[in-house]
Amino acid sequence: MPVARPICDSFMTERRVTFTREQIAAYAEASGDQNPIHLDDDFAKTVGLPGVIAHGMLQMGILATVAAEEAGGPSRLRRISVRFAAMVVPGDTVTFIASRGAGERLELTAVNQKGEAVLTKSSADIA
Amino acid sequence: MTVVAGRTYPAVKFEIEPERVAVFARAIGVDPDDGVPPTFAAVYSLGVTVPHLFGDEEAAVDFSRLLHAEQEFEWTRHPRVGETVVSRGRVASDISRRGMRFVSFETDTTDAEGGPLCRSRALFVIRS
Repeated sequence: MPVARPICDSFMTERRVTFTREQIAAYAEASGDQNPIHLDDDFAKTVGLPGVIAHGMLQMGILATVAAEEAGGPSRLRRISVRFAAMVVPGDTVTFIASRGAGERLELTAVNQKGEAVLTKSSADIA
Repeated sequence: MTVVAGRTYPAVKFEIEPERVAVFARAIGVDPDDGVPPTFAAVYSLGVTVPHLFGDEEAAVDFSRLLHAEQEFEWTRHPRVGETVVSRGRVASDISRRGMRFVSFETDTTDAEGGPLCRSRALFVIRS
């Protein structure tokens, strides 16, 4: 007998972000990761990319803010882990979700507008 | 290429300046007044130590074939704005399999008194 779960539960935080070149450039500046694959379309194409791509760490940073909100504040975040599974390019819209799992575990997802998971194997532990 | 599992790199001191925290907070869309965003560890922990790995000629990590595959941060305590932290990187494992090289790079960050703050675990995959 499955345990009943509320269909519309409040144990979830969601944020939808449409990535822009400006945001990727701002993260490059803020993080110090100025790899040209994030800044220069022509360079990105020379290494087989469609153009500039967002930093995986920018995606993780946004996911962590969603997790922190669900946790009740950034200081309550004890651990977060992600696998970078798919590229994010300017114009992509990614939905980041943190939901309560068992105990002090948050299950985290990041899915683009095509329904593809861009971050997988993602979870967080909270205090 | 040398297998560099177990290699440790020198400690790096880093001051968490309010201006840098504010720029980082705005870039990920959070209020700069909410303190140090947890993933600012990308700067004070991973960011300050990973250049040691990339600059290690014996490790011979080809940056142009490198993929950051996984990342984990674990905190004992989050640092405060203005704090000076110390980070040390090491290669936890270095395994080649089917034309791919998997390098696990770990960084331990402590406060100025040596108290633990954060551990970063990055998995890099390098295509050969």
